[in-house]
Amino acid sequence: MLNAGKAIKVSIYLSDGATRHGVPVYSAILDYLFYRGVAGATVTKGVAGFGADHHMHSANMVEISDRLPIKIEFIETREKVDAILGKLEELAGTGLIEMQETTVVKPAQVSKPKQLVPPAHLKIEGKAQMMRIYVSEEDRWKDKPLYEALVAAMRANDIAGVTVYRGILGYGAHRRMHKDKPLSTAHHGSVMLSAIDTEEKLRAFLPLVDQMVAEGLVVFSDVDIIKYAYRALEVEAQS
Amino acid sequence: MKEQFPARMLRIHFGENDRWHGKPLHEAILAKCMEFGIPEAIVFRGIEGYGSGTRIRHASHWPLAKDAPVQLSVIGTEEQIGKLIPCLDTMVEEGLVATSAVEVIRYSRDAGKAPE
Repeated sequence: MLNAGKAIKVSIYLSDGATRHGVPVYSAILDYLFYRGVAGATVTKGVAGFGADHHMHSANMVEISDRLPIKIEFIETREKVDAILGKLEELAGTGLIEMQETTVVKPAQVSKPKQLVPPAHLKIEGKAQMMRIYVSEEDRWKDKPLYEALVAAMRANDIAGVTVYRGILGYGAHRRMHKDKPLSTAHHGSVMLSAIDTEEKLRAFLPLVDQMVAEGLVVFSDVDIIKYAYRALEVEAQS
Repeated sequence: MKEQFPARMLRIHFGENDRWHGKPLHEAILAKCMEFGIPEAIVFRGIEGYGSGTRIRHASHWPLAKDAPVQLSVIGTEEQIGKLIPCLDTMVEEGLVATSAVEVIRYSRDAGKAPE
């Protein structure tokens, strides 16, 4: 585990086509680093470059180039780097290895193992509000359908969840009957968005609804929520 | 224009095959809602469900072969919903009606015009 402070950053430059015992060299090096417990390593593929042989390698649509430059980068403590450098030199073959002093500002955190067996009866219960918004499917907001814009806006405002329902028949503020015709792909009907969250959050979102909905109906009702928090648990364990 | 008022929401669950005087039941109820001046009514088709009679209803991929569960959702004033319920008693043979108190915000474009 890497801690904040002084460390060494090692970069290895290779060619994509180089192989060792039938596997690409970068993959052999990555495996070596992995099993030696290096804190982390990243392999990036260049789009163009040249090396010691001064051949230009580039990604070309016409001739599929398999000799693109590859860079492997990892950061470790000096002791660890010293311990594995000998083997790395051997593995890198004709490639170039460079290292530099660096400072780890914030070490990466190991994600805690997920709880594999969630408690069977964990539920969250409480009071909440349901907000239903009735609009027409043709209604648009800026460049997209209004219902899509509303969902995106709710998502951006951390509303717990929203579902859009398409009506097969209905009428609304303009008192025009909307009917879904079978066997037609074009749909011009009423849609309903149903969102559930705390009263404060929904009320805080309401000014946006005011702006976006020119014609429609918003319905609030009190609901009791019972939430089975399986996924919430996994997220909590990761952070 | 924005208006805010307390209202009642009524939801009716039945089957898409249900008919009333030869017309699909949901169309008939919707026409009644319009008659009573109810501002909003919408019919949803479920993909699967069951109701009284415990017969499972499936929505078919073939759009003309219908036996999907449908839900009709109506929002109106206490008075309008009060008028609608006796009609439903005669129209809905097999189904479920649920009502709840709600608060409504209504946006409308034609600010000057009174509702028809």
